[in-house]
Amino acid sequence: MVDWLTMAIQMVSLAMAVWCLISTFRDQPMLVPHLIGVGVLWLLVLGQVGATVVTMVGGERPDEMVMFVSYLATVVLLPPACAVWGFMERTKWGPAVIAFACLILPVLMVRIEQLWSPVV
Amino acid sequence: MSEAPETGPVADRTLRTGPGRVLVAVYAVFALAATARGSYQLVTRFEEAPAAYGLSVLAGVVYLVAAVGLARAGRTSRVVALVSVSVEMAGVLVVGALSVFASGVFPDDTVWSGFGSGYLFIPLVLPALGLWWILHVHRLDREAQATGA
Repeated sequence: MVDWLTMAIQMVSLAMAVWCLISTFRDQPMLVPHLIGVGVLWLLVLGQVGATVVTMVGGERPDEMVMFVSYLATVVLLPPACAVWGFMERTKWGPAVIAFACLILPVLMVRIEQLWSPVV
Repeated sequence: MSEAPETGPVADRTLRTGPGRVLVAVYAVFALAATARGSYQLVTRFEEAPAAYGLSVLAGVVYLVAAVGLARAGRTSRVVALVSVSVEMAGVLVVGALSVFASGVFPDDTVWSGFGSGYLFIPLVLPALGLWWILHVHRLDREAQATGA
């Protein structure tokens, strides 16, 4: 796990959430800038997951491997899934879905960090 | 013709469009979270707290049924959604109360423990929003019927 990437993902994700909520209140559907934002977020997530997989192949593994991998899969799928949702729902509720996804992504990252290096 | 022609395509779509779409997304995430967590715990630590883990899986299934019910248009789906969301409401209230006042029943946490406090109380707010949305769409339908017929 690359620490600064986790931080970056959380910051970008929260910023996206705020922005998408503003779009929702402004009655905007998902637009190209939103998509670019989701894309950037996805690249960051892919970078982190890629780095983590490389580390795991190298031999360093968390105790709860199955749980950890399923969390990794979830965070990888989350950005594209909410983008698809934004395409399906061409109203202000598209950004609302993205905002929700961007709010749970930081939480998932915290869980992943905890699984990777348990405090206790 | 049983698919209520008087409501028209607009009302047919309403349950899954707009805010409904957000609800479906949230329900899908919770279905995944609760089912995955519950089944993983059932498989790895069954003897520790089978009731709690079984309940997590059950909650996940209820979320899944609710998500599908909300996502599909039509009368039957609406009833399915209404029933599953009601079950969920009852579940979070009963399990929440049990976990606070009789914590011995569920030694390990579930999605519904502490009224969903481990999940930012979303499990408590979600069924309320779900019920409101389903009833709201139902009311729109009735109004459309009254003016259209």
